[in-house]
Parts: sequence; structure tokens; C-alpha cells
Amino acid sequence: MSEIKPNESAPATTEDNGEEKDWAAAKAFFDNLKTHKPRPPKPRYAVTIAVSSRTLFNMVAERKIYEEEGVEKYVAYQLENENEPLKPGAAFPFVKALMNVNSRLRKLYPDSEELFDIVLMTNNHAQVGVRLINSINHYDLTIERFCMTGGQSPIGYLKAYMTNLYLSKDSEKVGEAIEEGIAAATMFMPKTEMQLSDTQLRVAFDGDAVLFSDESEIIVKKHGLDTFFEHEKEV
Amino acid sequence: MVSTIQNTDVKQKDADHAVVVAITSHAAFESGADDGDAVYREGVAFPLLQALQKVNERLLEENPAESLLFDVILITTDSQQQQQSSRVISSTRHYGLEVSRFCFSSEEDFIESLQKNNVKLFLTTDTNEVTQASQTGVVSVLLDQQTAVCSSEQLRVMFCGDAVIRPDTGPMPLTRQAAQSFSTQLGEMRQKFGMFDSPLSFILVTSHGGRESCRGALQMLRSRGVSVDEAYCLAGAPRGPMLSLVQPHFLLRDGYSSLEE
Repeated sequence: MSEIKPNESAPATTEDNGEEKDWAAAKAFFDNLKTHKPRPPKPRYAVTIAVSSRTLFNMVAERKIYEEEGVEKYVAYQLENENEPLKPGAAFPFVKALMNVNSRLRKLYPDSEELFDIVLMTNNHAQVGVRLINSINHYDLTIERFCMTGGQSPIGYLKAYMTNLYLSKDSEKVGEAIEEGIAAATMFMPKTEMQLSDTQLRVAFDGDAVLFSDESEIIVKKHGLDTFFEHEKEV
Repeated sequence: MVSTIQNTDVKQKDADHAVVVAITSHAAFESGADDGDAVYREGVAFPLLQALQKVNERLLEENPAESLLFDVILITTDSQQQQQSSRVISSTRHYGLEVSRFCFSSEEDFIESLQKNNVKLFLTTDTNEVTQASQTGVVSVLLDQQTAVCSSEQLRVMFCGDAVIRPDTGPMPLTRQAAQSFSTQLGEMRQKFGMFDSPLSFILVTSHGGRESCRGALQMLRSRGVSVDEAYCLAGAPRGPMLSLVQPHFLLRDGYSSLEE
């Protein structure tokens, strides 16, 4: 099967041997679990999607406390409500659809590591992590990898977790991720109720900029549609 | 033969409440082949020493009468450095290091220094010393080149959240008890600071297990008074890139076992 991350060269160093040992230990750990949870795929071959806590779950009320009363009150509130599962956020249906794709892939290719891997990437304090994990358990999401930086920007960690796509509510963070060369998108809750499938992953490609050069897109943004049509005539 | 000399430049700590940390002079200073009588160069433990000092500074800022402080002592086991005991002392003073006592002993009886001084954490660059000290139940950490690039502004202590799969490879029960009480003392120190801008940070890394191991570890540490700040759960993902970002000063191994099932 082909490698999804072609920039990773073939393992040969002692660091890679350590990597292999960690992987083997994790494999043994998950294979021995009585709960028969599917074990996470090998990051080298997986498509890794990092989601922030606020896109995975609806944390609007909690965010308000953080902004109005400060971080200490925010963390205290999260601790008090630790056993109360959070409500789904904007990326929730997306994550469920990814899980469905994974289970179908696992049935068709039981030995493949080419699966989606979902990582929770947040600058939340680790104490808030208990509520996040409790919520993940409540919905039985297959998320086994976390990065909780306790206040620092998570952007530096995206590469460390071999992230292919980063989803966040914070467009600044998304911009920073893109600067680091990692595909990223700003997720938001649609204002009107949208029926999003959580069994089928539906991907739309922007024909104007994605498949073809974004030269035209830039012209529209800078000068408006008239200039765009003139440019198209010249090209 | 063990001899102890007080550093008169530094205020002695309250023996009943201070947390004694012993560092070998080998770890604190680089001794070159032909340094003469000059001051020693900084060793790999330098940023760590400075971070310990930073914690003390901030603890005293919060409460000038604070007695729960780090009490750093310098242990010299190397016979060559012993002959230059005055150089060890003058180097310490030159850098303004907050070392309260100097202990000079041989390789055979440095353990006596650790016991006499009620050492809670022993830091060295020598693997034999780590093994020997561990066997007597002292929490011992092997420092290396990685330690040299750590922060000098914040003491970063790492805990490992993995299930102990094969208990016989874990640390000795004596050290386990000692590591637990040491981590509780660290937890107490941490409580004196806010969520952010703390000179002390606790990091949890789960290498093999998944979210249940991570959660179990967070809760177990919490019950011991250790409120973890940063958590990285890898579930088999490579550790290297993450560790080079996290840069802990040391890992506290206490054979913590996660109750996954």
C-alpha cells in the first residue's frame, strides 16, 4: 500500500527504533484490552486530523466564563461539571463520519494503517482534560490521542503529532497552522439548522481556487468581479 | 569520610520543611582537562539549578516566611574535584548559585551524604550513582545533554501515565514510596501559584495507553495533590518530536499504574 506521508524517509536511526518500540507497546496495550477498542492507526500512515476542544464540543457557556471571569474560574467551573458531558460542537458530525469511514475501511482492509486518526489538540489546562475525556467516553468517539498544552499555543505541536488537517474555531490559530505548512480550516456552527450526515463523509472542492490556480481568486478578492472577467478574457 | 561545609553566602533553610535536592558537582560544573585554577564552566544541570532557584524566589515573593523551599546541596564524589574543593566552592559563589551546603565524600560513601542530609531528590550524570542511590530508596535522576537545553525559568517535571505491564521492571517499592511523597511536596509548592505563569509545571505523558490511561493518571495524580498542567497522550505515536518541544527537566518514575480495565 502507498505511503500517505511521503516526506517521511525510511526508518534507520536509533530514534526510529524507539519509535517502533513505542508503537509495538501501544499495539500490545490495545490488543490486550478487554473492551476490544479499535487501536489507533500508525501515525506515519494515517491521515491525522487535529480538532480543537471548542470545535469538537459546544463550549460557548464555558468560553463566556473564561472571557468574563478569567482562567481560574473557568477551570474551577469545568472541574465542578466534570461528570456532565459537553454538547456536540461544529466538528462533531465530521468526526462521527470519519469514524464511520474508518470502520468500513477496517472491515475491507483489516491490516491497513491507512485510516483517519483524530487527535484532540487544545491549549486547555490538563485538568479540563478529565471533562473532555468523560465527554468523549459519553459519545464513544474513537479519540485516543491528546495534546493539552496548559496555555501554550498548540500550533508547535501539530507537526509533532504528524497532523494533516487542523480544525479550530480560532481563525488566527488556523492562519498560524497554514503558515507552518499544515492544512487548516476554521469551523463554525452554522446559524441555520443544517442536516449534516454523520455516516457519510461529504467533501466539497472549491473549483475556483483548489483544483486550479488561485490567481483568479486573488483578483476577485482584490479588485472585484469585473476585473476578474477581464482577466479571464486575457488568459 | 564525609565532610560537609556550609555556604555562608546563602541563608540556611528550615530543615523540617525544606525539600532537599542533591546535585553532583559533576552535573553542575564542566571540568576541562586543563582549566588550572579558573572557575569551572557551567555543567548540564545549570538550567535546572537556576529553575530550582526561580521556584524558591517566587515562593518567597508569595510568602516571605515560606519554609517549603528547595534546599540544594552539592555533592562531590570525584576525587579530582575533591582535591580542588576550594574551586568547587568558589565556582558556586562566582555564579551566585543558591547552594546551602557542600558535601565531599568518596564514591563508596556518598550514600551516607544522601541519608545524613535527608535528600529527597538526587541528580547526577553517573549511571552507577543513580542505581546505587535508587537501591537505598532515594529518588534518583540521570541527567544528560538534554537537560542542558531545558528552561532556566520554569521547572518542568514529567510523569509517565502508562500502565505498568511488567511490574518487575518497574522501580523498587522503596523508591516508589519516596517518589510519591516527593511529588506530593511538589504538588504543594505548585498550589501556591496560579494556573499560568507558574515557575513549576507538571507534565503528563502517556506513551502506550489511550485516553483511559490518560484520564486515570490525571485523577490518580490529582488524588495525591499533583494538579497536572500539560498532558500529552500518544497511544503509540512517536515520542521524540513531542519531547523535544516539551523539554522536561526530569521524569519522575514512580511505577504509577493505570487501572484501565
